[in-house]
Amino acid sequence: MAHVSVPMYWRTIPQRYKLVGYKCKKCGSVNFPPKGVCKYCNASSEFEEIHLSGRGKVHTFVLISAGGAPPEFADQEKAGGQYPVAIVQLEEGPKVIGQIADADPKEVKIDMPVTTELRRIYTEEGVIRYGFKFVPAGK
Amino acid sequence: MAIGISGYGVYIPRLRIKKDDYAKAWGSFSAAGVGEKSVMGFDEDVLTAAAKVSRRALESVPTTPDKITRFAIASTTPPYVEKLLSGTVMVSVGIPNQALSSDHITSTRAGTEAMLAGFEHVASNPKGMALVAAADSPLASMWDSLEHALGAGAAAFVLSGDNLIAELEGYSSYASEYFGERFKPRSETLVHDLNVKKFSESSLIKNTTSAGSALLKKLSRKPEEYNHVVIQQPDARVPATVGSRLQFTDLQLAAGLTSKILGDLGAASTPVSLAAALDVAKVGEKIMVISYGSGAGSDALSFKVVSDRKATVKFQTDADRKEYIDYIKYLKLKGAIL
Repeated sequence: MAHVSVPMYWRTIPQRYKLVGYKCKKCGSVNFPPKGVCKYCNASSEFEEIHLSGRGKVHTFVLISAGGAPPEFADQEKAGGQYPVAIVQLEEGPKVIGQIADADPKEVKIDMPVTTELRRIYTEEGVIRYGFKFVPAGK
Repeated sequence: MAIGISGYGVYIPRLRIKKDDYAKAWGSFSAAGVGEKSVMGFDEDVLTAAAKVSRRALESVPTTPDKITRFAIASTTPPYVEKLLSGTVMVSVGIPNQALSSDHITSTRAGTEAMLAGFEHVASNPKGMALVAAADSPLASMWDSLEHALGAGAAAFVLSGDNLIAELEGYSSYASEYFGERFKPRSETLVHDLNVKKFSESSLIKNTTSAGSALLKKLSRKPEEYNHVVIQQPDARVPATVGSRLQFTDLQLAAGLTSKILGDLGAASTPVSLAAALDVAKVGEKIMVISYGSGAGSDALSFKVVSDRKATVKFQTDADRKEYIDYIKYLKLKGAIL
């Protein structure tokens, strides 16, 4: 299992629970997750924290099937079956990776509008790791 | 100052299992009047559902989470036995850390307990705004007939003294000592029931009718003055059993009878059913809510609808959005082979 310690996970709560993005004060691009130096202009380390809407479109996706899931997601695949993982382009610009929940995997399409909500990601060390997943928008 | 419900939201998980699938597996189905029920997905629990309905309730006002001064959550199925539940939802939704919070978790009455905690806050803080979320997905052993009824759902309410949809007219409460019905011993994560049906029924009737009749008396109301009556639903027959003793008719119970299609929603039973009733209620109509929790107690609340503003996502919209699963998939999702 890709071990993420409790303190490491805790530090990512602003991103995972409520999609806090980091807008570069020089070029205006939104970094998500946070970077030391803006990954778009490479010229500034000053950011403004903004709340991302969570709305976006599926840029590309893959369906994870039996045997394909990382160990921390193996139980999810066994109990719930195939699940989609997508790269979503958010309205504010950044491309973000996440699972698509609450959707029939066969109905997931490129350019499909999605939004985010809080879900259980996995459980490690007895601690439930919550975070955002994408869900079809307008449902 | 009039206080009441300023906004509300409801969420029903997409997955459903039909009564027939239970009958195929067990030869019978023991949840009276329940035709199918809702099931949470593998990555959902009462906190993710509470976060979702909290957002929906805020949108329906509309208002923003930073205005909330009181948060309460209700469920009989918290993902941890010890650890604060409120914080997860507050941080996710953006409710200020300074808001007073409470977790209500010891019986299916928790939904109305949390609502009353919210109402007491706004009654004593005229500028306050409370957000109350009830979410549940009760768990029992597959060997227990009690398990057949258990569904999943959530509802949240924004309570304040401003911009009301429904005004709180009054409430009554009743608590007493009963045991053996729907309890979790300290070491257990699953709901137990000793199946002493008549004894359980006498507790249910005693507590709910005591709270309900006290409220009718307090407000000098006759049962027929209510347009909608929402009663706790361990199954879909209980509301009629309790209602007939308080002289409520099936017509008054119809809008809040969510268990027929969702099963027993535990602490979210009366909150979700109240949301369903609010969706169809007209200005001037009156709604009575009577909850029940084993052990035992009941809260009765009376509302008068004062605005035709409705939830942004209606109960019926979520109720119609569904995907059926079979009993094997259900057991895998529940981890219920015990």
